[in-house]
Amino acid sequence: MNIIEIKGLKKDYPLGDTIVPALRGVDLDVAEGDFMSIIGPSGSGKTTLLNVIGCIDSATAGAVRVGERDITALTDRQITEIRLNKIGFIFQTFNLIPVLDVIENIEFPLLLMKSSAAEARGRADKLIEEVGLREYAAHRPAELSGGQRQRVAIARALVTNPDIVLADEPTANLDSVTGASILELMRRMNELEKTTFIFSTHDANVLKYARRIVKIKDGLIEKEPAPA
Amino acid sequence: MLLLRLSLRNLLRQKRRNILLGSAMAIGVAILVVANSFSHGISDIMFNKIMRYVTGHVAIRFNERGGVMREIFRDRARALEAVKGEPDIEETSEAIAMFARAIGNGRSDNIILVGADTKKPVSREGLRELEESFRLVEGSWDDVNGEKAENPVVISAEKAQYLNVKMNDVLRVRFRNMFGQDQAARLTIVGIMKNDNIFMQPVVFLELGRTKELLGFRPYETPSLSLKIKDPQKNAAALADRIHDRLKPGTAAIYASAAGRAGRRPVTLIGFKSDDGSRKKLSELLKLSSGSFEKAFRKEGVILPVPLARALGVSAGDKFTVRYDRKFERTPREARLEVSAVCGAGAYPGQDVVLLYDSGFYDLYYDDLPAGPGPGAKPYTAEGPWGALAAPEWVLLKRTYNTDEYKLKYQEIARNKWKGTTIDVSTMYETASDILKLESVLNIITLSAVLVLFFIILLGVVNTLRMTIRERTREIGTVRAIGMQRNDVHAMFLLETFFLTLFSSIAGVLTGFAAMKLVSLITFHPQDNPLGMLLVNGHLYFLPTFFGIAGSVLLIIAIAAVTAWFPARRAANMPPAQALGHFT
Repeated sequence: MNIIEIKGLKKDYPLGDTIVPALRGVDLDVAEGDFMSIIGPSGSGKTTLLNVIGCIDSATAGAVRVGERDITALTDRQITEIRLNKIGFIFQTFNLIPVLDVIENIEFPLLLMKSSAAEARGRADKLIEEVGLREYAAHRPAELSGGQRQRVAIARALVTNPDIVLADEPTANLDSVTGASILELMRRMNELEKTTFIFSTHDANVLKYARRIVKIKDGLIEKEPAPA
Repeated sequence: MLLLRLSLRNLLRQKRRNILLGSAMAIGVAILVVANSFSHGISDIMFNKIMRYVTGHVAIRFNERGGVMREIFRDRARALEAVKGEPDIEETSEAIAMFARAIGNGRSDNIILVGADTKKPVSREGLRELEESFRLVEGSWDDVNGEKAENPVVISAEKAQYLNVKMNDVLRVRFRNMFGQDQAARLTIVGIMKNDNIFMQPVVFLELGRTKELLGFRPYETPSLSLKIKDPQKNAAALADRIHDRLKPGTAAIYASAAGRAGRRPVTLIGFKSDDGSRKKLSELLKLSSGSFEKAFRKEGVILPVPLARALGVSAGDKFTVRYDRKFERTPREARLEVSAVCGAGAYPGQDVVLLYDSGFYDLYYDDLPAGPGPGAKPYTAEGPWGALAAPEWVLLKRTYNTDEYKLKYQEIARNKWKGTTIDVSTMYETASDILKLESVLNIITLSAVLVLFFIILLGVVNTLRMTIRERTREIGTVRAIGMQRNDVHAMFLLETFFLTLFSSIAGVLTGFAAMKLVSLITFHPQDNPLGMLLVNGHLYFLPTFFGIAGSVLLIIAIAAVTAWFPARRAANMPPAQALGHFT
């Protein structure tokens, strides 16, 4: 069953007087529980595609269904609720909240969902254990290494039990060993939580972790190379 | 809770910037608090340390025949009856003061001789207030009640120094009594006081009973009454209104026995108003039988109805005797009256009524207040057209509610020739509402000055917020991407501004209090200082109020919130993808 269905997705960005097409008619279906990588060179449209799927950017044209809903027809409040309840994000630059410590960063989305403090803390405790950062619970992001920060970001992305986790170049700012451990962790989480993972990368070393690879170039999906 | 936590922690991120901005706000609030407390202190000095002793919170002033100097009411018990049973009244005092020329040792000066009710028991609070306001440096207040010295008085240290007198010295004073007669007296100094402020320096206190005696009061007469009440700002006007209602006058009447050639008859003497309109109306109402209205409309004018004139055996130009019991004296009073006119009984106000020209009537009436109509008898009440023509017991002046109305009333009083005693019920807020205006004006001036400062501060708030938003754009994108709603982002930035302003305001209030404490430690010398009237015991006086402080704090918080509203909304409306792609 497809959790994401995209038909004829176009996304243009105005740049002064000209329009720059970032996506030029993307068709893509993603099955539930998939562990999929979007690859392509810089500027090919990977991030834009992830942003549209993650409801943090809107489509210029085309249809995008996330779960059961066509996200192109929703209000900002409804879209924000989808982001909170259905989607988890892992950013290239981690994007943790600097004034919150590790455990607070992880439980942050649950508190936005109005979960009780105890419930949020319980779930965050479980996730912090899974990403192996128990002893860093009271540390602020600035006191962590890049790999540790990305582990916190993964835990935060998973804490709400989202249907989809989107990761935009999750290993780009990490050394190869740490990057590999992060991808291992994502894969383990995919198996453990049955969450659909979609991550973008232009690092060929990362591809071996993906079950499905989608190649994008100049705003169009080229072909799907066979998984390693 | 999450938003509160985020806002408070975010505040601590830019410590130096926020401390600088907060300090500027704190200074603004401190200036407001000090200025507000100072202006309120001025009002407090004027009302509670000066006016309170000069007029009381509520004053009932009596002016016999409208005479400004003739502050007397002939029936003290009746005046006190009007204020009886009022729970808001803490103290009722007879207020009496007169200007006098005092001759000391080689020097003379004007003084204000004030009657002080030193025999009345004083509450502990009252005693503390008195000691604060009139601090004795020599002698004792108890000696003012003593019998050994002649007219023992307490004088201010400044006045004693000027007059070159010291304890136990005798001051000679010349003054005019209540009835305009020049008098002289000797006062013995039994106490020297230090005053709160320069207004009290000419005051010399003499025991109330002795003061009244010097001024020619009889024991059952009273000067103006001064009331000290609870929570005067709230209660004074309503209490004055109630007392005013209770002081509505009836018809002034003397219940007498008249004796003429033909016999003796019980009569009621009534005054008729002598203004032009009343005289015209009276001559239209009455049918002249003998004599003339021309004679009747003079000070000694007396009008009788025909049946009474017949019964007494008198006609126009004849004299007859009236005799009546006095309210406060044992012996009756007699007077000889000459009939000016005899009128038909038709429209006459009563078969046994003798009409007297008001001026002459009040001479009899006030000099010796008559006893009532006798057991079981109703007091005479003029009815119909006579209700407006008969002289009332007194003239109750209308209530006023601010200084402008009050001034107009007294201008009117000065224009009219009053025959009866005028009674005015007023509060110190209307006799001196200009002081409240002054407080408001001072507050407005301060606020305007501080608003300029706030404007500069608020530019700082806007810039700080814009800078903060710019620095945290990616963070805004992150929280929006995670699922924070626009309203929450908006609220988060507003809360940050709110907390910054709140903490700065609290610091400002504390700084203001510290500044007031420091300034009030400086001692000034009232005589050499134009600020003399603003000093209490030689120190500047500040009176902070909860509402003043809360108002200042709320004002700056409101202004800051309004200022922060738009930058915060801009942050909240930023599209998440755009915010995430922002590079600082």
